Amino acid sequence: MRYFKLYFTCIKRSMMSRLEYKRDSIISILSFLISNACSLCSIYFILQAIPSLKGYTPAEVGFFYGFSMLPIAIDHLFSDEFWLVAFRRVQLGDMDRHFLRPVPIIFQMFAETFQPDGFGEVIVGITMIVICGLNLQVAVSFGAILVLSIGAIFGAIIITSFKIAISSLAFIFKRSGPLLQIIYNFTIYAKYPIAIYPYAIRFILIFILPFGLFISLPVDTLLYGSYNPYLLSLAIIGAAVVFFTLATFIWTLCARRYESTGS
Amino acid sequence: MIKVQELTKIFRKPIRGKGLIGMISTLFSRKYTEIRAVDGVSFDIPEGEIVGYIGSNGAGKSTTIKMMCGILTPTSGKVFIGDKEPYLKRRVVAKDIGVVFGQKSQLWWDIPLVESFKVLKEIYQVSDEDYEERMSFLSSVLGIDEFMTQPVRTLSLGQRMRADLAASMLHNPKILFLDEPTIGMDVLVKEKIRTAIHALNAKYHTTIVLTTHDMADIENLCSRIIMIEKGKIIYDGPLRDIKRRFGNIKTLTLTVPPSVDPEKVKPFSDDVAMVLDKDNKDKVVLKFDADKVVLEHVVQYAFSQYQAIDMKIADISIEDVVKQILSQQEEEHEKAKKI
Repeated sequence: MRYFKLYFTCIKRSMMSRLEYKRDSIISILSFLISNACSLCSIYFILQAIPSLKGYTPAEVGFFYGFSMLPIAIDHLFSDEFWLVAFRRVQLGDMDRHFLRPVPIIFQMFAETFQPDGFGEVIVGITMIVICGLNLQVAVSFGAILVLSIGAIFGAIIITSFKIAISSLAFIFKRSGPLLQIIYNFTIYAKYPIAIYPYAIRFILIFILPFGLFISLPVDTLLYGSYNPYLLSLAIIGAAVVFFTLATFIWTLCARRYESTGS
Repeated sequence: MIKVQELTKIFRKPIRGKGLIGMISTLFSRKYTEIRAVDGVSFDIPEGEIVGYIGSNGAGKSTTIKMMCGILTPTSGKVFIGDKEPYLKRRVVAKDIGVVFGQKSQLWWDIPLVESFKVLKEIYQVSDEDYEERMSFLSSVLGIDEFMTQPVRTLSLGQRMRADLAASMLHNPKILFLDEPTIGMDVLVKEKIRTAIHALNAKYHTTIVLTTHDMADIENLCSRIIMIEKGKIIYDGPLRDIKRRFGNIKTLTLTVPPSVDPEKVKPFSDDVAMVLDKDNKDKVVLKFDADKVVLEHVVQYAFSQYQAIDMKIADISIEDVVKQILSQQEEEHEKAKKI
């Protein structure tokens, strides 16, 4: 409860920082609208151009793509600060003050920035799901809705866990941004049905970098009833718990190696 | 209150070649140098004391402070704040300490100061009454009211330091670490900050550890000094003793006209040492103990005998004290060897 209140105080602070510079705020709101409009358009054009992808119709591919945006967007909303940790903050010795406060450092990172750009991605993603879903005339069931929601929310937790674990390597290497970029880019593969990939990549996308587990499999379940939605939900939640625990553990270990900078 | 035992911090740095090719070859080498930034340091600081932790640049002051407040984990040795080790119980210890780094602000850069304080109030769970009480006291001693609604980035260095001090005292910590709190400030602002530090110590009985390069800071604030050089403690004791050992040394730097040959001038007395600079023939430095010789007389002598056109009076610097302590220790060491 205390942390909820603290989180909102800090987020208010983060929004105030964003609004402090008037012209910058206007430009970022405009660029936010433009970039989201562009991404919708480009997805539309690409889907128009593909007649089918290994047997998947454009509407199906669009559904996968739209759903994949949700966990990525939710992660984007809350955990943008870890990019800065990986690329800059440790290297510049800019983490000192967080070590001095009686609150977990990971929590402080979440509370440091709230990235409203993520809302745009959520809206774009949902729009695509609805349009493609109507087009496909999907039979909506409770189980399918459940597994999609779980996939979006707990999938975001899994993505965030990777961000935490890899950005914390910066405490040892001083900079882990490029590595984080590589891992994060694997989410691109998860934007398409994993059935189009060879087995090795499918294995990686389900068990090692489990982006396929929470993006592709839930959609397969909704569209084709491939898996039991309840078991799949449990598997996703389980994976999220395991990855998040592991990530916080790695973070704690690495943070002890923080060297700060001379002053 | 603070107990430091055999504290050591070793940084491992790869041995770098020179230039770009050297840097590339570093990627394939496994050679490291060990830098012992802090090397077997031990001391105790009781409650309510103001201690000056001093030394030249790169002596290991900041590294020690960072270990005491839980930012760095020691390579070996221990720190106890109360009875807890800060790098193991970081969150518990954080409630008991306040830290100000002269070079790095802890406030949020682009929001009004008062908003920063509100966030800190939540972080440290300060009650409304305590917040009101402390804010009114802090703004009276630090004078932060006048810029409370300005964003931190628009504050001057002195204002920002006062704001940082207030921020670090908001949760009424038992221990306050100040790393170069007066760095880069003019004399008047320095004075204001010193008065405030005294007032905090008197009112809340806060234990204060401060590092500084300014002799005047030490004389005004600290009853005890701990001096560190190359990671090792070379002196730990009351300020009085240092003064007794080195006296109240002052240096007088004169600019003399070319018509005067300083070597031919009769020395003032044995108590005043004259140092000549080979490269700057017009500069003469007189070093003396202001407790033994009257400053006024030396100044008059400088004008009449050396015909000085300009002069500068300075107190002994921390670097000088460190140098003198080291050379004294070496002498004692030599003597001990001979015996």
